[in-house]
Amino acid sequence: MAHISRRSVLQGMGAGLGALAAAGPLFNANKAFAAREKELNILCWEGYNSAQVLDPFRSQTGATVKAESLTNDPTMINRLRAGEINTWDLINVNNPWARKVMLPEKLIKPLPKAEFEPFFAKMMPEFKWPYKWAMSEDGSELIGMAQRFGPYSFVVNTDKVSRKTAEDTGWDLFNDPALAGKYGILESDDWNVFNIFIIAGIDPFKVHTPDEFAKFEETAKRVFKGAKLIGDIASMNQALISGEIDLHMTGGTYSVSPARADGHPNLRGITPLRGPLPGGKGGIAWIEITSTVNNPNLSPLALDFLKYVQGPEVAHTVAFAEGTFNPVAQMGNKACFDLFTKDELDAIQWDSLQEEMDRSAEYDIVPDYDKALDLMNAAKRLRG
Amino acid sequence: MADLAIAPPRQEAAPEGAAQLRHARMLSVGARCALPVALLLGIGFLAPLVAIFGYAFATPRSFDVFTSFTLANFATLFDTTNTVWLSFFWSCGLALLTVAILAVVAYPIAYGLNLVFGRWSALISVFFVFPLFVSENVRLYGWVLFFIKNGVLDGTLKWLGLAGGPEVLYSPGITLFGMVYTYLPFMLFPMTLGLALVPRDLVDAARDLGAGRLFIWREIELPLAMPGILIGMLLTFVLAIGATAEAKILGGQSIIVISHDIEIAFTYSQNWPLGSALAVLVTFFIGALTLFALSKLDLDRMLGRR
Repeated sequence: MAHISRRSVLQGMGAGLGALAAAGPLFNANKAFAAREKELNILCWEGYNSAQVLDPFRSQTGATVKAESLTNDPTMINRLRAGEINTWDLINVNNPWARKVMLPEKLIKPLPKAEFEPFFAKMMPEFKWPYKWAMSEDGSELIGMAQRFGPYSFVVNTDKVSRKTAEDTGWDLFNDPALAGKYGILESDDWNVFNIFIIAGIDPFKVHTPDEFAKFEETAKRVFKGAKLIGDIASMNQALISGEIDLHMTGGTYSVSPARADGHPNLRGITPLRGPLPGGKGGIAWIEITSTVNNPNLSPLALDFLKYVQGPEVAHTVAFAEGTFNPVAQMGNKACFDLFTKDELDAIQWDSLQEEMDRSAEYDIVPDYDKALDLMNAAKRLRG
Repeated sequence: MADLAIAPPRQEAAPEGAAQLRHARMLSVGARCALPVALLLGIGFLAPLVAIFGYAFATPRSFDVFTSFTLANFATLFDTTNTVWLSFFWSCGLALLTVAILAVVAYPIAYGLNLVFGRWSALISVFFVFPLFVSENVRLYGWVLFFIKNGVLDGTLKWLGLAGGPEVLYSPGITLFGMVYTYLPFMLFPMTLGLALVPRDLVDAARDLGAGRLFIWREIELPLAMPGILIGMLLTFVLAIGATAEAKILGGQSIIVISHDIEIAFTYSQNWPLGSALAVLVTFFIGALTLFALSKLDLDRMLGRR
């Protein structure tokens, strides 16, 4: 029978505090192990944080790898701005942020060109060295590696709206009063800003005039009022499959591929044939760039991980990591491409990928995004 | 089994001399041992509040917390052209409706748990607690599957050769349903406790003296159970005014609630100062309301000390 008295409890606590004091340096491991050889922290879009991708790397290196996924670029970048530059080793965001924002603000640091240039030779032709979004504005520095990409405009149930009609009518589908109450809007507000501009017939990636903003506001109010629901990817796919909606704004391979892989090939990401984007393009495509954070104590594993995900098997795993399925630049390498089954290629709409990318402008930064977002949020509140 | 040797109670003799006086003023050993943890908890509680408060006065769309001071964020919120009041209206309205509906729904259940269900009360209580072990989002997605077109309800009705289920998803009404469903236990259990504190002798005496059921309910049960009912209402209101998931998952964002507006400010808008100002306003509103309600409650009576 244990005999517990106040004295014994206090003695125990004293011993505990002593042990805590002795173990103190462990709580400051970053400084104690200055090189951080066994630690890697990744800030990324979902997929890179999956066990399928990380576990083999953990086994190979014996390292503690932590990855946090977020679903919009500005949040990730502001985490670095707010002081987490000392925490993260890799950041994975959409194409323009590395080149136009993070490098000028010294949030990321360049990669050793000699080590990474050879990987571009094995990527798909449009990613060949020197790939624009992987390089600094002046072209002198390599600032990140490309991997996942895809067209991202809107998604239709082709049983209700044929692919031909959707591609031909394009964004005007959302101007059609007959379709009010039959479409959803994916909760991805940065993309929704782009798409409201496009539905209004305006190029989103430029400085806008007051008249254009007035048109944007009117369009936002109308499009949001007409939406049956706003929700996440799972909600959109569920609503499409159940027949609650026939199409949804903001979406593409990234959002619809899980549903297609689940046996719903009638759901399809659509890139319109034409639109108000430069060159008359009708869609927008994203390309993820993964960069090393300008962490004063960067883990050496950061570069190892960037090389690791270039391997054919790992690239295939990244493409089909849990959550969303996407094409990867490494599919230019036959060894990687051959790992994709027919069903997997169908899920990522490989049959039309090239033509959709050709019809898409590349994701860019809206110069007056804040104002547009405020107008769109106000429009959203008027739904009720 | 462990024996716990408890020290004899301290003599409350008047301190003699400066040393004894100092000793008497010092914290007890227990309090001193608890001090580090208390400090840690205090900092953990205060730090985020101080940060939010600091950000509320920072330059809009900046991270200049504690280095800038402006009332611009509050000015933006009180700008007459700002539609954020709509979100506030929806949150308050839905929270009030949730409380009203739950008061009516939970009362008979609480009454039953105290006086009707007998030995089944414990089991029935478990049924009401059990859903709390499952994530709220999972439960709400379950309701989506139940109500969605060709889902459990619609599909079953069609299978039976009927016209199918009603279209209820993605509306403010289903958002309210979700809130009532989610917050039922938070109203039910304080109310059950309140009703348990009503002395049955008093009810019997009133009945013996010829009081009718409605009279007994109005003049005895309700006033004596009121502290429990009010605590339940307060708890439910505070939780419901901050609810987001119901409006998002079941309601399909057919309305934007105030907590969603705060979330948008911290994520897509990346306007932490504006989101903080909104959070501060909502916190003050709820805090004032809570203090007002608590000032009306007689905790002594509720705890049965009288």
